[in-house]
Amino acid sequence: MHRNKRSGAFLFLFLLLFPWGSVAQSKKTGDELEKDDRGKYIHYEVITGNAIPVDSLIYRAKTFFKLKKMTSIGTDSALFRQRGKFVISKTAFVLSHPSGEMLYHFAFETRGEKYRFWLTDFVFVSYERDRYGNFVPSTAKGIPLEKSPGKLNAGEWSSYINDTGRQSAAFAAEFKEYLSASQQAKPLHKSNSRISIKSW
Amino acid sequence: MKIKSFFTLSALTMSAATYAQETTTSTPLQISGSADVYYKYDFSKKPNIGTSFASDQNSISLGMLDLALKKTTGKASFVGELSFGPRGQYGSIPNGEGEASNADNSFHLQNLYMSYAFTNKLSVTAGYMSTFIGYEVIVPTGNFNYSTSYLFTNGPFQNAGIRANYVFSPKVAVMVGLFNDWNVYKDVNGVTHFGAQLTVVPVDGWTAYLNVLTGRAAGATGTGSIYDLTTTYQITDKVKIGLNAADYSVTNDNGGYSGAALYLQNAFTANFSLGLRGEYFKTKDVPDLKGSNVKSITLTGNFKAGGLTFIPEVRFDNGSTARFVKNNLDPTKNASQFSLAAVYAF
Repeated sequence: MHRNKRSGAFLFLFLLLFPWGSVAQSKKTGDELEKDDRGKYIHYEVITGNAIPVDSLIYRAKTFFKLKKMTSIGTDSALFRQRGKFVISKTAFVLSHPSGEMLYHFAFETRGEKYRFWLTDFVFVSYERDRYGNFVPSTAKGIPLEKSPGKLNAGEWSSYINDTGRQSAAFAAEFKEYLSASQQAKPLHKSNSRISIKSW
Repeated sequence: MKIKSFFTLSALTMSAATYAQETTTSTPLQISGSADVYYKYDFSKKPNIGTSFASDQNSISLGMLDLALKKTTGKASFVGELSFGPRGQYGSIPNGEGEASNADNSFHLQNLYMSYAFTNKLSVTAGYMSTFIGYEVIVPTGNFNYSTSYLFTNGPFQNAGIRANYVFSPKVAVMVGLFNDWNVYKDVNGVTHFGAQLTVVPVDGWTAYLNVLTGRAAGATGTGSIYDLTTTYQITDKVKIGLNAADYSVTNDNGGYSGAALYLQNAFTANFSLGLRGEYFKTKDVPDLKGSNVKSITLTGNFKAGGLTFIPEVRFDNGSTARFVKNNLDPTKNASQFSLAAVYAF
């Protein structure tokens, strides 16, 4: 009887504390970041066979940048450079708080019937809890993702790299979906139509 | 049977969690906190230096266990922060709510407030909050040095009140508010204090706060006003500089203090930083008692391993008067101490 209770309690604690989907444990689904020829981590994709006119593509991309609150850092004819960030969170079951933010540069370029985009120059800015209990950047100068943090923080750093890969892949999928022809134009205003249950 | 019920309960809990994640305007409940312990040895073998919290002589002692909760739903959010242990109870927050019968009944609250963001620029916050005055804070994860400055020890720790924050631009923000007396859960003489903060970000990495808090506390014979400058500048990814300067006066010749503390920090590696704090602190003259001053130098290391930080520290204080004691209890102008603290943040 005692044993059952003990094993039940153990199981409960295990389920509660086991880091479900824990910090950025990315599954091996091709979300890992590659290194480019500068030795920088990069998520790079080329989309070919694109049937959408270039001007529509660019318009949609610009709208996407606005939606994501990205900041422009330069435009060069068909090449658009933006700056953005992901929040990296520590998660254990339903408990979570942000560990820091990953700043990145995003580039988007069109050529004929294809376009390409990439996320790179990842820089991690750790968060600290301020006096009011809010998580805020602990420094104005981040650490490049390629920079080795040493043995003591290697595990944590590795989880940041994994989570950046996962979030980059998710961001890329969202970007491609937004640019694709299959997306529906979203209504600017809510419909005023009402449902009547008086007659049926 | 019990196991089956347990799994049903788990499944329900997980569904609730999933639902919470799908609600776009609600963030998951944030849980964070810290724990700290320390050892301090004063070289006169007497607890001498008037630092807050790390006060026990030649003892492995407790700081506090700190637990913070935060939840945001749409534009509304709340923060509740509880602390248990000497640092987070009688060391920093009031016991009871002012009634004699509750004198030993600590509420354990560091922060308990609600916020509402009316727009992206304007938010209003009400409740019991860590003070906006000063450089150092109660929670050890917020400080580089483990021992605290005289400016911190003599300034307010918490302010209950209501305040409005307006962000003019990423470089300028203003806060104005009405507050209770310093460090009380409830005010017995009304909401008597006015406070304001101007935040300026002159360049990337440099933030400056100009603070004022003024009002007459219950039973006080004068109005106390504190003017405070707190600023930090992350010069490079390794070098950080900070400054805190404050002046506190109570009208009708009731004294006060003034002082300044300079903070220099250098990160030698990702896991090791060294910091130096130099402070000058002076109490003001009151009738029949001349003010005195004290100078203090503190050298602190931070060794980080994951969430754990080891903080070795040496500190030397020199007073204008014999404010410290020697081993034989003779008065002396000098005091020095060593401490080693371990702080874990989660």
